[in-house]
Amino acid sequence: MSALLEARDLNVWFDLEGGATLHAVQGVSFSLEPGERLGLVGESGCGKTTTALGLLGLLPSSAEVAGEVLFRGEDVLRGGEESVRPHRWVDVAMVFQGAMNSFNPVRTVGAQIVEALELHGLAEGATARARAGRLLESVGIPADRARRYPHEFSGGMRQRAAIAMALACEPSILIADEPTTALDVMVQAQILELLDGLCRDFGLALILVTHDLPVVAQLCDRAGVMYAGEIVEEASVETLFHAPRHPYTRLLFAATPDLHDDGAPVASIPGAPPRLDRPLVGCPFRPRCDRAFGRCADERPLLKRLEPAHAAACHLNDVPAEVPA
Amino acid sequence: MRGADYVIKRTGFAVVTVFVAVTLNFLLFRLAPGSAVSNLSRVPHATQETRLALKRQFGLDKSKPEQYVIFLRELARGNLGVSFENSQPVIDNLKTDLANTLPMVLLGTVFSIVLGTLTGVIAAWRRGTAVEHVTVTSALGFYSMPTHWLALMLVILFAGWFPSGGRVDDFLINPTWFQHVKDVLYHMTLPALTLALVLYGQYTLIVRSAMLETLGEDYILTARAKGLRPWTIVRRHALRNALLPISTLIALSLGYIVAGAILIETVFSWPGIGRAVYRAVLERDYPMLQGAFLVLTLSVVFFNLVADLVYFKLDPRITT
Amino acid sequence: MSVALQEPGLVEAPRPARRRAVWQVIRHRPSAVIGSTVLLLIVLVALLAPLIAPYGLHQEVGPVFGHPSWSHPLGLDDGGIDMVTLLMWGARISLVVGFAATLVSMLVGGAVGVLAGYFGRTTDVVLMRITDYFIAIPDVPLMIVVAAIWGPSLFHIVMVIGLLLWTSTARVIRAQVKSVRERVYVQRARSIGAGHVRIIFRHVLPQIAPLLIANTVLTIAVAIFDETALSFLGLGDPSRISLGKVIENAFQRTAVSSGAWWAIVPPGALVAVLILSCSLIGQALEDALNPRLRVAHLSARRFRLRPLVGRGSEAL
Repeated sequence: MSALLEARDLNVWFDLEGGATLHAVQGVSFSLEPGERLGLVGESGCGKTTTALGLLGLLPSSAEVAGEVLFRGEDVLRGGEESVRPHRWVDVAMVFQGAMNSFNPVRTVGAQIVEALELHGLAEGATARARAGRLLESVGIPADRARRYPHEFSGGMRQRAAIAMALACEPSILIADEPTTALDVMVQAQILELLDGLCRDFGLALILVTHDLPVVAQLCDRAGVMYAGEIVEEASVETLFHAPRHPYTRLLFAATPDLHDDGAPVASIPGAPPRLDRPLVGCPFRPRCDRAFGRCADERPLLKRLEPAHAAACHLNDVPAEVPA
Repeated sequence: MRGADYVIKRTGFAVVTVFVAVTLNFLLFRLAPGSAVSNLSRVPHATQETRLALKRQFGLDKSKPEQYVIFLRELARGNLGVSFENSQPVIDNLKTDLANTLPMVLLGTVFSIVLGTLTGVIAAWRRGTAVEHVTVTSALGFYSMPTHWLALMLVILFAGWFPSGGRVDDFLINPTWFQHVKDVLYHMTLPALTLALVLYGQYTLIVRSAMLETLGEDYILTARAKGLRPWTIVRRHALRNALLPISTLIALSLGYIVAGAILIETVFSWPGIGRAVYRAVLERDYPMLQGAFLVLTLSVVFFNLVADLVYFKLDPRITT
Repeated sequence: MSVALQEPGLVEAPRPARRRAVWQVIRHRPSAVIGSTVLLLIVLVALLAPLIAPYGLHQEVGPVFGHPSWSHPLGLDDGGIDMVTLLMWGARISLVVGFAATLVSMLVGGAVGVLAGYFGRTTDVVLMRITDYFIAIPDVPLMIVVAAIWGPSLFHIVMVIGLLLWTSTARVIRAQVKSVRERVYVQRARSIGAGHVRIIFRHVLPQIAPLLIANTVLTIAVAIFDETALSFLGLGDPSRISLGKVIENAFQRTAVSSGAWWAIVPPGALVAVLILSCSLIGQALEDALNPRLRVAHLSARRFRLRPLVGRGSEAL
């Protein structure tokens, strides 16, 4: 049986002014089972948002895409925009960053939810409006707020409304791109709880894109760590925290202050990610890696399966004598 | 009512601006060097009584500040003096002239707004393609042509097909209402076309710019993610939002069309307010010049207020 | 809560002076290249007019409205003077007025914009109120009135055009200055006690320079147009021949009914070309410098698909 969603060797190039191209996503593959929660973690600029957008074909015209995105075994990218559009919102829905204007400022929030319902033929007119109201209630917003405009909502409420709108067509997968960024701490917790509950109640699969590790720990079962456009390690969240097999993962999770471990130094990773508008030689993480050796400069490590549910792209895993940190 | 204070504030601002404009008018004309300009009673071919009456009416022998007050008072009464040229009250002349200008300007403006919006949307939609380059370049081309020169070009081009001057055919005797209207429209074609071509370029650029900005907004991405078809997104989301800056800019430009009308009406001898300005300058008819200038300034203020109110109506975010 | 990852290089460094940015933009856009080249050409010809004009400016070389011929490619005007010569000399005056008026407008508008944007609060409110009143005055009628009342000299014309065009500059500059002022390095300069003047000249001006240039170029276009309009209405400086005056002469002396199109079409076409060149440059700059015009979530062109090349990732 094929997975619910599968990305195979996804590549994205962006045209830059002056003729160069930026290789933003370099061969990303992963799969998602129904109800599963996958995190896509990484620094800003590592390609995780681009990957998420690429899954739904939401990239701009300056982008070039290669690879396959299989929804229930069917490649939705193959026919371009026309083949992917029917799947938007009804199969895979998206929630964007909290700071973004997900809503059109000159139309009411309710009207925009109704738009989703009517577009995909799930309801019309008064029925649609009633459903929109119920959707808002399910995320904790009074139904009569549907007649309000987006600027009349607080940041947290707007985000909840965006989640309500995403669920309007009962998708099987929800992609959340930095859903709690730029929100207050208290509101963040509420949104996360909401997502947790909704995914559980509706059996949604979740792809959570974020740079915020504790969020991943709270919501996700598995996560893929992205660096310089590719996945460098993929495993259960537990494993990534306690037994990572890639130096970047290790340093990443070490940079997270542990509430229970006062006094432990908070590390940060010196240096910067590599430029993606030039071809890379060797391992992209080598300049910042504390365990790099000879082979790392010449050969790019491939993502290798180490255990049934654990893959990593690091030469250290090939050297039997090395005990991974 | 939502934003009642916004409406009041903007109207208040308009009123103050009117006041400033009127004062400027007074300063320009009464404080000019020499009395030829400032003396409204020097109407040639007028009787001595008329002159004395005017002198009294406008208090021309009193001090400047007193004159200013009297000026305001007479203005409120609709008394702008008497034209040097035809010895008629300025206000009556202006009324006729304005009535002649408006239909012509309206025709040209409506046409150019429709055409400009169409081409602007297409140019923004097909960004980066040859279509966009051609559209933008042609819009810039028309925008660059001096109004009066374009008018002359059209006269040369259409000589013999359309009349190149005047508003009515002097040789048409006792026309029926229908014939008269047809005659006027016939004469109105070239002037309105000139205006339309000059404005269309400007509007295309405005619409394109507004659309491009709108298409980069986040909610457009959301609309796409929802599965809406591109053209639906353009129509329902982008255009609706772009209407905000577009309508403001159009309303603002309406106030300045009167300036362009001066040049057009001069070329085509169209008896409107633009040509009234031209002739007033030629004949040194200062009362008319003052009156016409006032009307033009007030129309700009009026259209600016309209622009504010339209924006207010379209944008639900404005509450104060 | 965002413990996140230390973003390397989070501290914002001041961006290098944007002079190079303007040059880059112009170089890479064909429309700007064409505009610049044409403009430079015309300016050059105008500058060298006394040297390269084929005939004298007041030299009668043939009949009134003489037809175009080999020796006079653009014919003669209503005084029997060679049109090509007229165009060259006319361009000089038109350009002088255009540049001079723009200079006035830039100085006033730039100053108002910088002061309003930099100092904010009361200064901002007062200056913007004044600007709003100025905007409400229609320029062409005011120019007409001033020229009619105070006499049509070159100086009056330049001043009146300049004093009406500054408003758009002021607004644009003010918006830019406001955003620049909030940048980290400006705050830092303030905190170490740098004076306002120093900050304005060293930090603010270089950042707003590109937009200022774009605005300047567009203002030149409007100034040239305004001059032709004034001349056409008989309010130009009678002692100078500008391109607008050439058109006016032709119109007054019934060139149209005489069929002497060469007296009307070339001068206006030259003005149009001048304005178009400036507009192309200004438009290209504005397009490039407006960050909001760069991102397009939606356009007719879609993302492209590349056939799978098969880069191996052996796992999974």
